[in-house]
Amino acid sequence: MSSQLLRALRIVLMVMVGLFFLFPLLWVVLMSFMTNVDILRSPPSPFFVPTLRNYLALISGHLSTSSGNVQIDYMHNLLNSVILSVCSVVVSLILGVPAAYAFARYKFRGGEDMAFTLLSFRFAPPLLVLLPLLGYFQTLHLYDTYFGLVWVYQLITLPLVLWIVRGYFEDVSEDIELAYRLDGHGWLATFFKISIPLARPGIAAAGLLSFIFAWNNFIFALILGSSDVQPVTVGALAFITASGIEYGQIAAALVLSVIPTLVLAIFTQRYLVEGLSLGAIKG
Amino acid sequence: MAYLSVEALSKAYRRNEVIRDLSFEVERGEFLVVFGPSGAGKTVLLRLIAGMVLPDRGRVVLGGADITRDAPDRRDIGMAFQNFALYPHMTAYENIASPLRSRGMARAELDGRVHGAANLLRIDHVITHLPKALSNGQKQRTALARALVGEPSMLLLDDPLRNVDAKVRYEMRLELPRLLRARDTTVIYVTQDYKEAMALGDRIAVLGDGRFTQIGSPETIYNRPADSRIARLFGDPPINLLDARRDGAAELRVASNSVALPVRRSNTVASDCVLGVRPEDVAVSLEPVAGAVPVEIDAVTPLNDRQVMLLRADDGTEIFASRPQSEQIEPSAGNAHDGIGRGRRRAWATLDIERAHFFETRTGARLAEPALRPELAR
Amino acid sequence: MDAVTYPPIERRQKGRFTVSARVLPYLLSMPALLVCIGILVPFITAVLYSLQRYNLAFPMGRRFIWFGNFVSLFRSSSFWHTVYVSLAYTVLTVGVELLLGLGIALLLWRRSLITNLLSVLLILPLMVAPAIAALMWKLMTNSNFGVLSYLVSLLGFHDFRWGASPNTALFTVVLVDVWVYTPFIAILLLAGLRGLPRQPFEAAELDGVPGTFVFFRILLPMLLPYLLTASLFRMLDSIQQFDIIYAMTQGGPGDTLLVFQVQAYLQAFTFTDVGRSSAILMVLWAITYALTTVFMKNWTRLRERAHGMA
Repeated sequence: MSSQLLRALRIVLMVMVGLFFLFPLLWVVLMSFMTNVDILRSPPSPFFVPTLRNYLALISGHLSTSSGNVQIDYMHNLLNSVILSVCSVVVSLILGVPAAYAFARYKFRGGEDMAFTLLSFRFAPPLLVLLPLLGYFQTLHLYDTYFGLVWVYQLITLPLVLWIVRGYFEDVSEDIELAYRLDGHGWLATFFKISIPLARPGIAAAGLLSFIFAWNNFIFALILGSSDVQPVTVGALAFITASGIEYGQIAAALVLSVIPTLVLAIFTQRYLVEGLSLGAIKG
Repeated sequence: MAYLSVEALSKAYRRNEVIRDLSFEVERGEFLVVFGPSGAGKTVLLRLIAGMVLPDRGRVVLGGADITRDAPDRRDIGMAFQNFALYPHMTAYENIASPLRSRGMARAELDGRVHGAANLLRIDHVITHLPKALSNGQKQRTALARALVGEPSMLLLDDPLRNVDAKVRYEMRLELPRLLRARDTTVIYVTQDYKEAMALGDRIAVLGDGRFTQIGSPETIYNRPADSRIARLFGDPPINLLDARRDGAAELRVASNSVALPVRRSNTVASDCVLGVRPEDVAVSLEPVAGAVPVEIDAVTPLNDRQVMLLRADDGTEIFASRPQSEQIEPSAGNAHDGIGRGRRRAWATLDIERAHFFETRTGARLAEPALRPELAR
Repeated sequence: MDAVTYPPIERRQKGRFTVSARVLPYLLSMPALLVCIGILVPFITAVLYSLQRYNLAFPMGRRFIWFGNFVSLFRSSSFWHTVYVSLAYTVLTVGVELLLGLGIALLLWRRSLITNLLSVLLILPLMVAPAIAALMWKLMTNSNFGVLSYLVSLLGFHDFRWGASPNTALFTVVLVDVWVYTPFIAILLLAGLRGLPRQPFEAAELDGVPGTFVFFRILLPMLLPYLLTASLFRMLDSIQQFDIIYAMTQGGPGDTLLVFQVQAYLQAFTFTDVGRSSAILMVLWAITYALTTVFMKNWTRLRERAHGMA
């Protein structure tokens, strides 16, 4: 009797948790298929005739607003997000994986200091670095360039790769590497044929997390770029503050900006959870 | 000239010297067993020779060339590990082929050699499997095949039979010498199993505290251990180390009893010493015997075909005795079925002093024997 | 046995380029080193800024005033308001997220179809950019058509204005933060819970130990490392929160939500007072540095413990 009650309570609680965390996503998705009339209807209703108008308008870039047509190239922001995130992750992996290996394998002078500096600045306020960087970027002509932004994105993605991949390299047996060396393979061959394949789950987790962190970043491009290079996070804010844009189109813009990370998350759930907990506990 | 010579090698980790000024030589085709308790530095020694770890001081010379600072891949050394160290993402075939791939060998020859090695170690039926699908015995055979296939001039085996089951260990112990002798391979074999060391080694080097305390043939190590610690490491149950004191001209005082001192020993023992008596050199009788130590039988356990007895002398000294199971002790009169091992009972232990080892009390070093030449004491 | 015999294998004499084992780690970690420099140089510049009177509108007046910026900061009530709002935001978000996260983790502890599904779906809010999440909630709390505004009005709050009112703005951004980051804590704690040994709990159940005792004396201590790490991570993020607040209200209404980084952003980009902005950020940096040091101490200990167990 009381255990049945408990069971029912558990289920009610789970439904509430599910509702709280999923409802906003669901509702915004619904909104993105509504016309302005549907959205403004009171009370709000999940039953309506879905329309693709909002998405089509976004893709074409011609947005009808209360004050006439506007040209906003939101797809360009989306493209910027892809360029920035992919480049940042690739650069981070190329630079970070060998460094993570060095930190894991060799106890060398200055190694721990470097590791500490990186970690402590991983948590430092980004504006602190961005403000002076803005000055430097303007003199170096890096302001408003993909190159400059990818460079700055390393501040978040590289420490992530270092910390997660380092943990995985520490778990690769030194004996296996030694065995391969003794077989007559050089250091580089051993690194690529043994160490990297064995740390692959960690590299995958680190790459995924970096991608998501880069994709979700807001403040870097807000300060160091114009709309030419700004990603969807910044683009969406400009979009929502621009006057008179239809609410359905705003919702569609938000949906487009989260779809890539959500899809990625669902398909790579296991790696993500591992990366998240490892990044937190194991470092 | 020696094939491998290690000269004054030292390696410290955080001021803790794991290998201290170590020198030794191995002849071509020789099978040297490095024996020592865990933590004695065996693994570090192998890594120094393999080039995984660089020494602080000293040289490693292989086939006349100084390889001390060479990278592992240039040393022409094969190695098998206690934990197998197979490449988990490659099949057994690719594992074995690895040393040949690094030499860019033609496909047909490579294939022939890999199958040859797999055949030799009788794993040809599982050659397409990944390591995780292999039994521990098959894993170690794969690892050995990988170490052998490249025909290295030197083979390092780091306790390879530690993690395989007893049957495989026994088979491999018989098989290994045949495999290796056929190729005239120079081998350093690390183990902490004294029986393995005795069975395999041409010579045994006993490692303790970062240096070799004795190098010699298995017989020498067993029959003439350089110190009491080595004597203790070889033999199961371990040798009895009994404190003894000179008592008059021809007597030794052991476990509060007087035991006759052999004449040829009368010069070796000045005042006190440690007497090493192997359990098989302790005879047990249920009747009083002249010159025997009166003891209580504390416990009796069978060990293979032998019987091991834990005896306790009246002053508390513990003595192990071991004798063939078949050899019956005369039951005392009127108590016919009263065998050994049912509760405590009185007995008399005779120590075979002729076969005993004499060690210095303070250092544990073997005392010189006038009858034989003192050799290999270091 | 194989009858084919092969000639001895040729020893290939390799004369290629090799890197000494002593140089290799430095070579490999060069990029990490470069990033370190890439952080340290602007950091030092920021320290210099904070010690200068530096207003972009009056470039001629730029000069060193040492701690002048800090003195004027500590004398201004707006700065203390910033400190207060930031701390309130941090305490509220971390507190609610910890409690809620722990509750969810306990709810999902036992594996079943529903809990597995829910633990997958829980990741989704975490994948939404905080700035985008704020915009989503902004849409839902719009006073004209927002579905949440409507639901709240059903409960009798007809004039609940969410982020637009000084009374509820903090509540609204905390809600968004909770929505985004609670899953992080829940996932972390769930991983911790599922990694715990079963025996203590089974033993307690057999002995009839009361549930509260099991929870406070067995479960919580065992989860402590995870709770500690999660809360420190969250604290460091919360005290520096920018994205959610900026996207939701730009720090408004009025000065209601001017937390450290939003305040610093406005000082630098609206009032062009780079010196004052940098001084605010230095204070924030000092706080995060202190927290990080505490975290690092625990982290190395936890790491050693984790490695010891492995």
